[in-house]
Amino acid sequence: MKHSSVALLILVIAAVAYTDIPLTSDACINCHRLLDEELEPGEQILKNVFKDIHLQVGLSCADCHGGNPDAYDDEDEAMWDDPTFRGEIARMDQPEMCGSCHSDPQYMRQYSATVKTDQIDQYWTSQHGISLRNGIDKVAICTDCHGVHGIYPVKDPRSQVYPLNVPSTCAQCHNDAQYMGEFNLPTDQFYLYRTSVHGKALLDRQSLSAPACNDCHGNHGALPPDVVHIADICGTCHVNNNRLFQKSHLKNIFLKRGFGQCEACHGNHGIKKPSDEYLNWEHGAVCVQCHKSAGNPKELADLFYHTIDSLKHQIILAKELVSQAEQKGMEISDLYFPLEESQKVLIQTRTSIHSFNKDLLLETVKDGFKATDEAIQGASAALIEFDQRRKWLFIFSLIITFLIVVVYFKIKDFDRMQRNKNQ
Amino acid sequence: MSTITKRPETSRRRFIDILLGTGLFMWISSIIYPIAKYLVPPEAAILYVNSVEAGTISEFPPSSSKIIRFGRKPVIIARQRNGKFSALAATCTHLDCTVQYKADTEQIWCACHNGLFDLTGKNISGPPPTPLARYIVVVKDDKVIVTLEEMI
Amino acid sequence: MGIFNWINERVDIRGFSEFAFKKKVPVFYGTIWYYLGGVSLFLFAIQVMTGILLLLYYQPGAATAFESVKFIVSKVAFGWLIREVHAWSANLFIFFAFLHMFTVFFAKAYRKPREMTWFSGMILLILGMAFGFSGYLLPWNELAFFATKIGSDIAGAVPFVGDFLLRLLRAGDEVTGATLTRFYGFHVALFPAIFTVVLGIHLVLVQVQGMSIPPELERIPEKHRRYMPFFPNFAMRDALLWLMVLNVIALLAVFFPWELGTKADPLASAPAGIRPEWYFMFMFQTLKLIPGHIFFIEGELFGLLLFTFGTIFWFLVPLLDRKAGKGQRSRFWTIIGVLLIVYMIMMTLWGYLV
Repeated sequence: MKHSSVALLILVIAAVAYTDIPLTSDACINCHRLLDEELEPGEQILKNVFKDIHLQVGLSCADCHGGNPDAYDDEDEAMWDDPTFRGEIARMDQPEMCGSCHSDPQYMRQYSATVKTDQIDQYWTSQHGISLRNGIDKVAICTDCHGVHGIYPVKDPRSQVYPLNVPSTCAQCHNDAQYMGEFNLPTDQFYLYRTSVHGKALLDRQSLSAPACNDCHGNHGALPPDVVHIADICGTCHVNNNRLFQKSHLKNIFLKRGFGQCEACHGNHGIKKPSDEYLNWEHGAVCVQCHKSAGNPKELADLFYHTIDSLKHQIILAKELVSQAEQKGMEISDLYFPLEESQKVLIQTRTSIHSFNKDLLLETVKDGFKATDEAIQGASAALIEFDQRRKWLFIFSLIITFLIVVVYFKIKDFDRMQRNKNQ
Repeated sequence: MSTITKRPETSRRRFIDILLGTGLFMWISSIIYPIAKYLVPPEAAILYVNSVEAGTISEFPPSSSKIIRFGRKPVIIARQRNGKFSALAATCTHLDCTVQYKADTEQIWCACHNGLFDLTGKNISGPPPTPLARYIVVVKDDKVIVTLEEMI
Repeated sequence: MGIFNWINERVDIRGFSEFAFKKKVPVFYGTIWYYLGGVSLFLFAIQVMTGILLLLYYQPGAATAFESVKFIVSKVAFGWLIREVHAWSANLFIFFAFLHMFTVFFAKAYRKPREMTWFSGMILLILGMAFGFSGYLLPWNELAFFATKIGSDIAGAVPFVGDFLLRLLRAGDEVTGATLTRFYGFHVALFPAIFTVVLGIHLVLVQVQGMSIPPELERIPEKHRRYMPFFPNFAMRDALLWLMVLNVIALLAVFFPWELGTKADPLASAPAGIRPEWYFMFMFQTLKLIPGHIFFIEGELFGLLLFTFGTIFWFLVPLLDRKAGKGQRSRFWTIIGVLLIVYMIMMTLWGYLV
């Protein structure tokens, strides 16, 4: 026994010499680092353990796994014979194990006064939690999302649940058709999300304000949102669209028929930047999903479509004229204000569609036409002025040329007089 | 020189002088005209971007707001219940929508993606990544004037 | 003639008119160079007129300068024309003044008794450049702001008094609204006052001493020389050229307008391609090329000393060129003049092309 522990100590010291894991007073780490040496990099457990938030605040392996971290030279004493030793935590037990601290407000308060402690409670209400309770241990547990032996705080960009990393974390399972097979769930959400307006904003533009999976589905209490609440979720950010839709006559019809409010027209994971073609009855209108026949709905859609289309055309025209005037060196910087104004009104007009109220749209769009008119008139005046300058120059040059010719003859005349005088 | 050769010379000289007079007259007119036009002050006033008159104080009852043009940019002037004025850039720092004043909570709100700012311009919730630029409001002889911060 | 007689009865002005009618201009291969001074004078007159017109609407000050110029070019009828003519005529003035100076130099017209005409002319040329430098800042746009910053920086390199000069120019340590007020004062009051006096002396000298002719022509006996009366024959030719120049200015104003650009922002970083006006380019480029240190003095200071002494040297040419005083052409001075022109053109081109 003594012999082997001396040998172990020598081994430990030797190991320290060529691993970058520092020697600690924790017996678990001191031995397991040697075991790690023999494992493939993917299976090593201590690689990131010192960056783990739990170790950083002073917890140790034993706080989760049990055992005696002071038993340096005896494997039995450290693990097998110790009554607290739990070893590997079974997936089924893991939420409650984390919850033993994380659900205890009094305990958690020592680390942060504002920390939340309802995660585990929420978890049991989620589809993940419900399935786990039912004995299906393939569903996500805490460590699947937050990581293990190297858990970072949620606000750390290295964390798997940092907003930018959430989609790929969820996709680990939800994108795997084989893994998800038995649940009868689609596995194209990540692909769809990746190409959606939100996915591009979050992952390409790195805009943290764009929603990741959890912003709509919840995180610990993850559930697909039901039809009634879809508009609430979208309305968190898209306030006006939601406000107008909730007041519109379509809301109750949608709910009665079980349409997902916003989702019925805009889709969900693959949601694209809405196009004005959504209103084009002949080609691409989302209305025709339900409104098979023309008539009133078509009239309204046509009105919306053509009003927005004509405002867009006015804006294009205004921009074109303003840039023409600017290229010709005219001072038109005042016209940028109405140009920006018209762009703003275009967005407001598009928003106003969600009221499905003709009068509101026509009222909203008015300011846009007023702004484009101002820009078009200003730019046209500048272009006319530009032409007038050339005309003015032409007349002026004509007068001067005439005068030059006359002065030339006058000079000749004077010279002749001079010659006559000299003779 | 005989009188026969002198005649056409004088008439030609007179002709040139007439042309010269006409040319000079037209030339001077073409110079006087733009100058005379220039001297007439135009109707439009100079737009100073450093301070803008937003209106009289009677146009701003407590709990009201107004968006004005400050040079090229829109600026929102809000008057709180207690009568205090604030002026902030009216363009949301998220995606350039125009913000509005929420009189009930005395905050600046962007309807596009539910961004909230307080009356010092600080972004307090929602997607806006940075605060709104601040302007100074001066009330002088019941006129409400908005100026750039560095002017004071 | 009624008014003439009316005045003449009270003040004897017949002398002036007799003088004007008696004045003769030599006719030879170089007569054409006599027009350059007249063109410069005409351009200066345009500057005075358009300058006064711009003053009617311009408002100096960091808060108002840019806005008021924008107002002039966009809102005031023909305001754009007045500003463009002022800007173009300023550039042409410098161009013709330089041309005038070099033709006078190569014709040796500075020799005795016309040294004072040369001195006053040089002062006018330097003042003209000072007009350009101070006027450039007045629209308070980005390019002008940074050009002024760099330009006034150079003044700070002068030994002993550099700091004082810099603060004198900028009215502080930085280019601010106070600099603008100061430059405005220089541009519309100080410089015009000095310019008018020196120009008066310059013109009186030219009238009193008459036109100079090159030394070799002086040896031709008087009766073989050809002349034309200054009035009206030469004056009419002057007028003809002025009309042409005016038309060219109108053409440039319409087809090549000077853009106003964006308002100066003292906190913004300098935009790319900051350049002085073209007539400062050869100096700017030289300063750029001079290494950090030459012998024991700083490169910038070396350049500055070079230009200061160069200008003084050039100013004193009538006193230094002893041969010209004796009515001889000195090859040495001609070569120096040619070298200077080649140097200025090369440096200017280099500055713009590289």
